[in-house]
Formats: sequence, structure tokens, C-alpha cells
Amino acid sequence: MDATTFAAALDLALGREKAAVAFYRELSAMASFAAQKSTLAEFMAMEEGHVAMISGMKAKGSVALSPTVAVDLGLAARMDAEERPTAGMTFQDILVAAIKKEERSGVLYERLAEAASQPGLKSVFERLVAEESRHKRYFEDLYESEISKDN
Amino acid sequence: MDIKDFIAPFAVWKRAFEKPFTVKKPIDERPGAPRYRGFHMNDADACVGCGTCEAICMNNAIDLVPAAGREAKDGDSGLRPRIDYGRCCWCALCVDICPSGSLSMSNEYVWIDRDPDVFRYVPGVEAKPWDGSALGYRRAEGYRLLDEDRVPMPELGHAEAVASFLELVRGYSRAQAEKEADRCVSCGLCIASCPAHMDIPGYIKAVRDGDMDEGLRLLYETNPFPEACGRVCTHRCEEACSIGSGGDPVAIRWLKRYIADQVELSDYAKALPRGAAPSGKKVAIVGAGPGGLSAAYYLSMQGHAVTVFEAEEAAGGMLRYGIPEYRLPYPALDKDIGYIESLGVSISRGVSIGKDIELSKLRTDFDAVYLSTGLPVAYGLEVPGEDHPRVLDGVAVLARATRGEELGLGGRVAVIGGGNVAMDAARTALRHGATVDILYRRREEDMPADADEVREAKAEGARLVEKAIPLEVRDAPDAAGEAALFIWNEATMVQKEPGKRPVPEPIPGAVREGRYDSIIAAIGQGPDLSFIAESDGVPVKRFRPVVDSFGMATRAAGGAPVFAGGDLVNDRKDAISAIADGHRAAIGIDRLLYGKGA
Ligand SMILES: Cc1cc2nc3c(=O)[nH]c(=O)nc-3n(C[C@H](O)[C@H](O)[C@H](O)COP(=O)(O)OP(=O)(O)OC[C@H]3O[C@@H](n4cnc5c(N)ncnc54)[C@H](O)[C@@H]3O)c2cc1C
Ligand code: SF4
Repeated sequence: MDATTFAAALDLALGREKAAVAFYRELSAMASFAAQKSTLAEFMAMEEGHVAMISGMKAKGSVALSPTVAVDLGLAARMDAEERPTAGMTFQDILVAAIKKEERSGVLYERLAEAASQPGLKSVFERLVAEESRHKRYFEDLYESEISKDN
Repeated sequence: MDIKDFIAPFAVWKRAFEKPFTVKKPIDERPGAPRYRGFHMNDADACVGCGTCEAICMNNAIDLVPAAGREAKDGDSGLRPRIDYGRCCWCALCVDICPSGSLSMSNEYVWIDRDPDVFRYVPGVEAKPWDGSALGYRRAEGYRLLDEDRVPMPELGHAEAVASFLELVRGYSRAQAEKEADRCVSCGLCIASCPAHMDIPGYIKAVRDGDMDEGLRLLYETNPFPEACGRVCTHRCEEACSIGSGGDPVAIRWLKRYIADQVELSDYAKALPRGAAPSGKKVAIVGAGPGGLSAAYYLSMQGHAVTVFEAEEAAGGMLRYGIPEYRLPYPALDKDIGYIESLGVSISRGVSIGKDIELSKLRTDFDAVYLSTGLPVAYGLEVPGEDHPRVLDGVAVLARATRGEELGLGGRVAVIGGGNVAMDAARTALRHGATVDILYRRREEDMPADADEVREAKAEGARLVEKAIPLEVRDAPDAAGEAALFIWNEATMVQKEPGKRPVPEPIPGAVREGRYDSIIAAIGQGPDLSFIAESDGVPVKRFRPVVDSFGMATRAAGGAPVFAGGDLVNDRKDAISAIADGHRAAIGIDRLLYGKGA
């Protein structure tokens, strides 16, 4: 894989992570009380960490991501179709939004990996799929322990 | 002098060159009788370190000592008995009394050593040649010094129970309570497992002694909700009870209830201590649930003027608006609350902080603020169709039942979830004449509800559908808005990751549906923190105030310090933990108000 293709792939990932930061910033602007804001700020900081990580990989010219895909708890797939949180958003609303967002990114990278003809590029996307699966799993675990405790 | 007297010493000298008798006939050729009471053995894994052996030994031959590699945990002191054979008289009372049955005796009785200190050791921890001996003394099958059976609690029959909201559990008589109290060996193992660290052996002794005033005094040392907790406490202490290691645990919860039931509210003041002189300090509490009112009780005992702000029309929190009256009748709850109010605690009912008064105002008008607002927000099913008009929220249904409103559940009800809210909603629906299915995503053994609750819900007629993953809610054909179809996927439990809990995995094609008049969602609840503004300075992480070991969230300038606790903060989410949090915060607030630092 040439450097241009590699950079383009990581630019795409970078774009998505930056969009995620913007997503939480937007929700935060809509938020009406402190608990929402602190949770959104925490999730936004995570996404900023991802932006920094991918920028670093782009600069180094190599992908340092584990290829291990997290076990799928199957929550995301069953969750109600997108609903944008409103000013009164609960922790559940925020976590559902986060899980669905990670799921969307994972699906996109999966498609890109399938479509990629160069093995190097395929591997970059596969690792991004794995990375997103771990992010999704992180939020799904939180959902299980904090939201659907009784089910 | 006779000639024999002269020769005799030489005859003894002759023996001096013979081998002693015990060497010619070594005693190890003569093993102890099969049921001989020889050196002790202890199954250190089954032993819970309760110390009953130590208490019964009249020779003080046993003391409990830390055992290497064993940590104290709920139901295990981490200690193990050490036997001193300089004192032991081999009576085997320790074996006969041992609640767990871990202690026994081998038939070995020979042990030769020059060092006198070795004859004191910890069986089962320090290896000995007789460990695992099949012979020796065991408590005979069926013979027990302690009664392993709990005194049964009189209860309404299931058919009678579902026909009304009458209290199910009738309570012990004096004779029953004293008999049950007699089963306690006062080991104190239960104390550590109680979040409020109640003096359980102390109040059980008070039952035994027939001293109800003393019992009540001990209860109130750490818990101002004995009527409520005597009925609905999650009673984890009973899981730790040493008697439970070989039989039924002592009915700690019912004995607590017995004490509180025996003393009339009008006599409480005689039994309980008086509060300190007025301190001139004012504390505001948000939420009149068990956590808020527990803080109120202890703060008022310390002499502080307490005002509790409660959004609902009545105090009690989820004990009133969640738990149905067949488990906790309102007069019992009112008695607990009544005593707290009688001390001068003022409860402003129908006042919502954030709507009627801002938190910032409380921080200005009071010297300290305690938040115990619980988890009033019901989480949704999060499946397509969850907004269907026949999908109801479990906590709201129970609150309406408390208010005496018509529930209009219809004849067929599905309850989704496996926690206490689900069980209470299901049993309430049964009492309203509905047939009830409880659908839970995992297995019965995974249900977070109290096992008694699940068993009783089933006995009263609820059908439990395990491993049912909610998929969708749809309008029922020909009944738009009046009935709904609940669609679920049957699941199989898959151990996807070692060490983690198994995950319900949908079985392809195994999609089922049921038509219901009401679908009650009870998957979990969360807090409503909309009343805390960023400017209040209360740190919040993932919708929980962050507190220190006294429950303090902030001492930020610009207002009084804010403490928080109860369901809002802790993980256990039961009444006794909220009560313990309230007590702890009262101590923290008191220290802060008196300048001792929290
Ligand atoms: C259906 C059900 C069954 C349960 N069964 C059991 C059981 O068997 N055993 C057990 O130990 N526990 C049980 N629990 C849990 C138990 O009720 C709670 O752990 C306990 O009540 C928590 O006490 P708390 O003081 O933290 O909050 P809560 O009891 O929830 O009280 C909070 C109070 O704050 C008020 N409030 C909230 N926000 C505001 C505001 N902004 N302004 C003013 N007031 C406000 C609320 O109206 C409420 O009265 C059950 C809970 C439910 C819902
Ligand atoms: S109730 Fe059980 S654990 Fe508690 S002191 Fe009595 S015997 Fe020991």
C-alpha cells in the first residue's frame, strides 16, 4: 500500500473521530444540566483521545491497533432506530446514542475493508473495525451495568 | 537389716539394662477406639470462623486466630480455631456445637515432642498426620446441639394473598420470637455484612431476654427504620449467619420486626435516647426516602435543625411509592417516619427542589445540604414500539397503586424485567385480577430480584418466561391502542468470555409473541439530576454525584457543603444501604459543622 492510500484511509478515520467529537459537543450544547454535560464531556474526551491516536499513527505511517474484535453483546443491533437525544436526555439516551454511533462506524469500516483490494489497506480497515468494536463494547458494558440492570 | 534389703538395689540395677516396657510394646500398636475423641481436625474451607467452639469450651482451650491465606469476607471471619492440648479435656462439645459441622476429632491420641509449644495448633491449617482420618469422633447424623430449623413464619396462603393487599407475613408471637432468638450463638459474623453494621447479636439477645426497650435502643443506634427493614430488608446478614452454614440462618429480619412491633410509638421516647441540645445549625435534606430521613434522624439527634424537602405528597420514598403494601403496610412505615418527625424534623411535602426551590438557595439558606433523591426515572425498553400506549413504566404503576388510583391494567399483563420492581409490579397486577407473564432476558438464577420474591410471584400464579429478549412492541390486531403484541426472541445462554457472565444469544427463528393488555417495563431506573446545575459545584460522573468516604460531594465556595447518598450514589440500591449512607453523612456533616473536618 502506498503512503497516499494509507494517509487517505487514516484521514477518513480521523474525520470520523473528529465528527464524533463534534457529535458530543453538539449534544453538550443542547444539554440542560450538569450530569449530562459531565458525561458528554467524558465521552468527548475519549473521542479526542482517538483523534490524537489516529493522528499519531498517520504521522508514524503505521497502524498500532490490536486486531482483536471485542465480543458482541448484541445490544446495538436490537436497539431502537436512531433517536436524537433531546435537552432532557437521560444516561440511557446518551449511552444508546454512543453505542449506535460506534456501531455505525464499525459498519462503515467493515464495508471499506470488504471493498479494499490492497491487502495493506484491507488490514488497516479491519483493525479500525476491531477498534470500533471495542469502543462499542465499552459502552455496551456500561449500558448493561448502569441501565438494564434489572433485565 | 535383712539380707534382702541389701540385695534389692542390685535387682533394680538388673532392670536398668532392659528395654523399657513401652519400647517393647509401643503404644502405636494400640490405636484409639474407632470413636475415640483424639486430636482435632477441621475442614478449614467449610469452617466460617464463627468462634462458637471457642465460646462453648469451658477450659478456654480454643482461641480463634488469623489463618494464613484466609481473608475476612461476608460470612467468614477469616479466623480459625486453635486448640491448646494443655487445656483440652477432649469433651468434644466444640464438635457437637460447630454450626458448619467442619470440626471433628480423629482417633489419634499419641503425639510425642520435646517442645511443649507444638501442642497448640490450628487444625486444618497446620498439616498433621491424622488429617483426613476416617476414624474418630463426628457429630452423629441428625444430632445437633443447635436447632437447624428456623421457626416458621406464619404467612397468608397464596390464594388468600392474591385476593387482597393484606400483609402477607403475619409476624412472630413472643414464644416464636424467643425460640428463634435462642438459635443465635452471638458470633457476630452477621454484623460485617450489614451495610449499617447493626448490633444484630445484641438485639437478638434482647429478644431472648424479653427486653424490648433495649432491643429498640440497639436498633435505633444504626437504623431508624426498624419497622420497614424488619419487613423488606434485603437481609444479606442472613446469608452471612453462621447458623446458615449447617441449617437455616437465624431469621434476623423477622426478629428486628418483632422488636419494633412490640413497642407502641407512644412508648418509643421512653426507650430511645434524647437528642443533643440545639446546635443552632440548619441542615436541608432533599428527598424523604429512607436515606434522607435516616440522615435527618441522626442530624436531629446531634442537635441540628433539619428540614426535609420532598417532592411527593407523602414521605417514605420508594418504601412507600415502590414497595406494595402487602409487603410493607403503610402504618408500619408511618410509625418509623412518625418517630423521626416527633423529634422535630420538619418535612416539607410537595416541594420539588429544582422546580419550587433551587438547590443554590438551599446552599445559601442552610449550613449543609444532603441529597438523597433516589432513582425516579424509569429506563425504557429501547425496542421499536416502546412508546405504545400500553407500555407502562413499572415504578409509575406501583406509585399509582400507592395513591389508590385505578390501574386499568386489563386481564393479561406482561412484566419485562427480573428485579424487585418487576416482581412487585407482577404481584400487584395479580392482585388486580390479571394473569401475568414475567419475561426476563436471562435465566431465573440470574434474576437480581430477591429469590423469595421470585418464588412468591410464581406461587401466586405469575408465569416466568426466561431467556426472552425483547424485540418489538406492536399494536394488537383489531385493538389499536387498547392492547399490544409483545415480540421476543427466545435465547440460549452462551459463555462468550471466560470469567464473565453468560450472554443471552437469540436463537435464530425462535421469535415468539404474546398479546397483552398492558406491558410493564421494569428493566432499571436512573436518577433525575436536572436539579443540579453546574454552578452548584457538585461533581457528577456518569449521572452519579462523586462523594468522599463521608458522602461529601462538595465544599465549594458560594454555599453550604453538599453531601449525597442512597440509591443516587451507592451500588447496592436497597433500603439498608441508603440508611447507612444517611447515617454516615450525618456524622460527616456534624463533624464539618463543628469544625472537625469531614
Ligand atoms: C418497587 C421497588 C421495590 C423495592 N424493594 C425493596 C426491598 O424489598 N428491599 C429493599 O431494601 N429495597 C427495596 N427497594 C429499593 C429501596 O426502596 C431503595 O433502595 C430506597 O428506597 C432508597 O432510598 P433513597 O433515600 O436513596 O431514595 P428513595 O427511597 O428513592 O427516596 C428519594 C426521595 O426523594 C424524592 N425526590 C427526588 N427528587 C426530588 C427533588 N428534586 N426534590 C424533592 N424531592 C425529591 C423522591 O420523591 C423520593 O421520595 C425497592 C425499590 C423499588 C422501586
Ligand atoms: S444472627 Fe447468626 S451470624 Fe449473627 S450473631 Fe447470631 S448466629 Fe451469629
